[in-house]
Amino acid sequence: MKKLDIRLFRLIKNSKGQFISLSVMVILALTIYVSFSMVADNLNDSIFSYYETTRFGDVFVEVVKIPKSAIDKLHGIEGIEKAEGRISSDVPLRVEDPNEKVSVRVVSLPKEVAGLNNAYLLDGKRLTDSSKTTMVLQQFADARGIKAGDEIVPYIAGRQYPMDVVGIVGSPEYIYLMENEQALMPAPEKFGVIYVTEDFAQSVLGYQGSYNEVMIKIKDDYIDQIDSIVDEIEDQLDRYGVKRTIKREDQLSHRMMMQEVEQLETMATAITVLFLIVAGAIINVMLSRIVKNDRMSIGVMKALGYNNFKILAHYTKFSVMIGLVGSIAGILLSIPLSAAFTELYIMYMNIPMFEMKVYPAYFVYGILLTSVFCVLSGLMGARSVLKILPADSMRPEAPKAGGRIWLEKIKPVWHAISFSTKMVIRNILRNKRRAVFLTVGIALTYSITMVPIFMSSVWGNLFVLQYGEFQTMDYNIDFSGPMNRNALRELSQMIDVDLIEPKTEIPFELRNGWKKKVVSIIGIAKDTAVYHLKSPGGYPIELPSSGIILSENLAKSLDVHIGDEILIKNFLPDKKDKSIRVKGITKQYLGANAYMDIEAMSDLLGEHGVFTGALMNSKDDVVSKLKNVKNIRQVQSVQDMKNSFLEFMDMMIYSVGVMMLFGGILGFAIVYNVTIISISERTMEFSSLRVMGFDKKEIYKMITKENGVMTLMGILIGMPLGYSMCEGIAVSLTTDLYTIPIIISPSSYVVTAVATIFFVSLAQLATIRKIYRLNFMEALKNRIS
Amino acid sequence: MKNDVLMKVENISKFYQMGEVTVAANKDVSLELYQGEFVVILGASGSGKSTLLNVLGGMDLPTEGKVFMEGEEITRYNDRKLTAYRRDKIGFVFQFYNLMANLTSRENVELATEICKDALDIDEVLEAVGLGDRKDHFPAQMSGGEQQRVAIARAVAKNPALLLCDEPTGALDFKTGIKILSLLKQINEKYNKTIVIITHNVPIGEMADRVIKMRSGEIVETKINRNPVPPERIEW
Repeated sequence: MKKLDIRLFRLIKNSKGQFISLSVMVILALTIYVSFSMVADNLNDSIFSYYETTRFGDVFVEVVKIPKSAIDKLHGIEGIEKAEGRISSDVPLRVEDPNEKVSVRVVSLPKEVAGLNNAYLLDGKRLTDSSKTTMVLQQFADARGIKAGDEIVPYIAGRQYPMDVVGIVGSPEYIYLMENEQALMPAPEKFGVIYVTEDFAQSVLGYQGSYNEVMIKIKDDYIDQIDSIVDEIEDQLDRYGVKRTIKREDQLSHRMMMQEVEQLETMATAITVLFLIVAGAIINVMLSRIVKNDRMSIGVMKALGYNNFKILAHYTKFSVMIGLVGSIAGILLSIPLSAAFTELYIMYMNIPMFEMKVYPAYFVYGILLTSVFCVLSGLMGARSVLKILPADSMRPEAPKAGGRIWLEKIKPVWHAISFSTKMVIRNILRNKRRAVFLTVGIALTYSITMVPIFMSSVWGNLFVLQYGEFQTMDYNIDFSGPMNRNALRELSQMIDVDLIEPKTEIPFELRNGWKKKVVSIIGIAKDTAVYHLKSPGGYPIELPSSGIILSENLAKSLDVHIGDEILIKNFLPDKKDKSIRVKGITKQYLGANAYMDIEAMSDLLGEHGVFTGALMNSKDDVVSKLKNVKNIRQVQSVQDMKNSFLEFMDMMIYSVGVMMLFGGILGFAIVYNVTIISISERTMEFSSLRVMGFDKKEIYKMITKENGVMTLMGILIGMPLGYSMCEGIAVSLTTDLYTIPIIISPSSYVVTAVATIFFVSLAQLATIRKIYRLNFMEALKNRIS
Repeated sequence: MKNDVLMKVENISKFYQMGEVTVAANKDVSLELYQGEFVVILGASGSGKSTLLNVLGGMDLPTEGKVFMEGEEITRYNDRKLTAYRRDKIGFVFQFYNLMANLTSRENVELATEICKDALDIDEVLEAVGLGDRKDHFPAQMSGGEQQRVAIARAVAKNPALLLCDEPTGALDFKTGIKILSLLKQINEKYNKTIVIITHNVPIGEMADRVIKMRSGEIVETKINRNPVPPERIEW
């Protein structure tokens, strides 16, 4: 082995703490990159192979009623591979606890097995001809303990239908099971899907020979023309009352799954790059210090005839070794980690064909990425090798200019502080680069630690804002059809209400040019007491008697501003589309909606004096009282949502912990390395202090004080930095479904500070050995290494 | 043999800019070094002897003047050629030994020979400097004299045309210093190496074939010793 390499290995051995801490960062970066990327790919592949097997459609059209012949005619449109009808309707399910409200979506399956959006049999057998058989969606079955052979009893059109569960199935359209866009999170014990025979659905739901949903599969070669095909479909189906058209990319489960894949990919790169940048920065500083300390040795190497390239390579190899160790260990670790992650996804994601594939390409990318980072940071750190002139390096370096610092000019202050504190302050101010690096490092630690703390409160805040400030009703009631004012009166008679308001909520497609979005337009009373519309600036908005108010995210995705006109596509047969002016934009955290005065909404619908539901405040037991009431489709209790929400929250703790750990590792690595570097380059100074009679403790205290001051400054800088990081995360997480509010409570700042101080203290403790082992006599004797 | 010119220095000057003042470290220095010669350059600190040594060793370039090694003008060399020159032609011995702390004595020597074309046998050289049994020791485990022997072995093993020693006894006690000087003399004789020692220690001049005295960057006297004194008889 080359003697310079031997020297390198001994150098690494002598600074193994630093080497290990930096390698750990590279290992983490690479492990996260490789395993997250592989899981993202595996997830994506599994989803699409599931789609393939179950023939998941590309376009779904909800209509009022359509005969089979009209669906068959769709095959005339160029590019359509298959169009198929089905019946789908949400109905209540009988459960033991009378207070519990559970609903199921009854979905019809055709007799032919190779239909679109097919159910994937997991247990039991498929539907028989008997109208009493049903297959139940796995998540719902698991959550409610339903097994093949059990009996379930849905209420359909007011009647109970006992049905035999013959099979448990998975479905490509319910990988992520949510009732609708307004649901905050999956609640598989409250909402499920059951599959029944087409004959049964048609007869009990009143669709003889017809359907209310059309599923369409587009030929692969035509998939890029999907928009024009959708337009043709809508034109052709217009007279059957198109309620909404959903392309696969907008389908709820698909969209959530794609978001999941995207989030994994984003995490894979973001965390990796962050760790590599920090590791690179530390390597850079560390190597530049090593080179500085090795000035004489470098001079000797040059005198011996080693050229710049060889010497530069010698020092750069230090970081290359970190990259090498990190890459190998990272790859070895990433394989079991990906497998564990995959297992986790199998458990949560309900994709029956999830399988783990290893993509060696990511190993190559990962190694390339780490190599580039390590080589670059190594070269940058060691580049001062080039500037060292052999003749100069033989002379001891001129002492650093030391002058008075500005604080000394404030005499009363300066005189009041102790000698060692003076040294602390001078040291910080005199080595500004080191101070800045440490401070920035701690600021980074603080801000990274802040993100998970912020994230852990995000959903709670979201909930509080949505249901505490934006809408303040206790119950949201949907009728099964439009009702007049008597319905409200009847409700107030049945229930002890504190407040009741009518509402009309109907999904429409809103268009601005080629941009379109299907949302519920909610008509509310002009003097509503349960909706509190506020402008993005936080000012209350009055509901205008004409025109429409859009939620902020809706306005953004349609790219409309106050004063613009948008088109409301009317799905009712033979009704014209209408243009309407946007009168305001409101903040809404959960979901995307448009709001109108309920009277103006009636004008739009052409029906006066009818409502589709009610908004209610009551301390009464509303859910159970309305349980078997005819004409009430759904009663949504905000309290129930809150409870299931809290359960969901518990699951978040795990990922928050992992993020905190990352912040901690980062902070530790920064503080540990900077302190070690600082100790090694100040060996002379500390040795002199020891000779003068300072003991080890006093020197250690001095370093601790220095780090303490910089920790404080780091935390102060970290606060705004953390805030903007959270802001960035919030913006990137904001989707059509929810807007993440940026609320960081004072206690979050304090908790983050405590965590940061904890990480810094750990690193500080880890360096204590170096000071205690400092052989000051040796250091003073050997002026030259 | 001693009449072959190894190095020729023609009117070199070296100026340093120190703030607003220009300091002349060497002023119009000219000299010749002969093959196999043992030269001592004497001068107080600040006399410009180290600067001259650095120029001879290709560690530094003069501001003016020319330097030739075996007829080739090294003052025209670029950085790459200067490096090759140091590697193949020059062996350095420093006052503070400047060994690599985390390499053993043998490895320190190997560090130098690894990049040379016709290096001498390392073990033989280490035996010659009397360190046959200390090969696997690290610098910190050796005395100053032993460390300086390693440094000499490192310089000699490269088989250079010229051995440049900057105050080789400056950090050593008298007895050890004499031993180092004898070692250098032996090497001069055994391998027929041209050796230049710079020192402020006047008695060392007695062992040289030629003594060059410097003051304020200039050569003030050149004295040829017809009968050099063996180092063992020098005292200071």
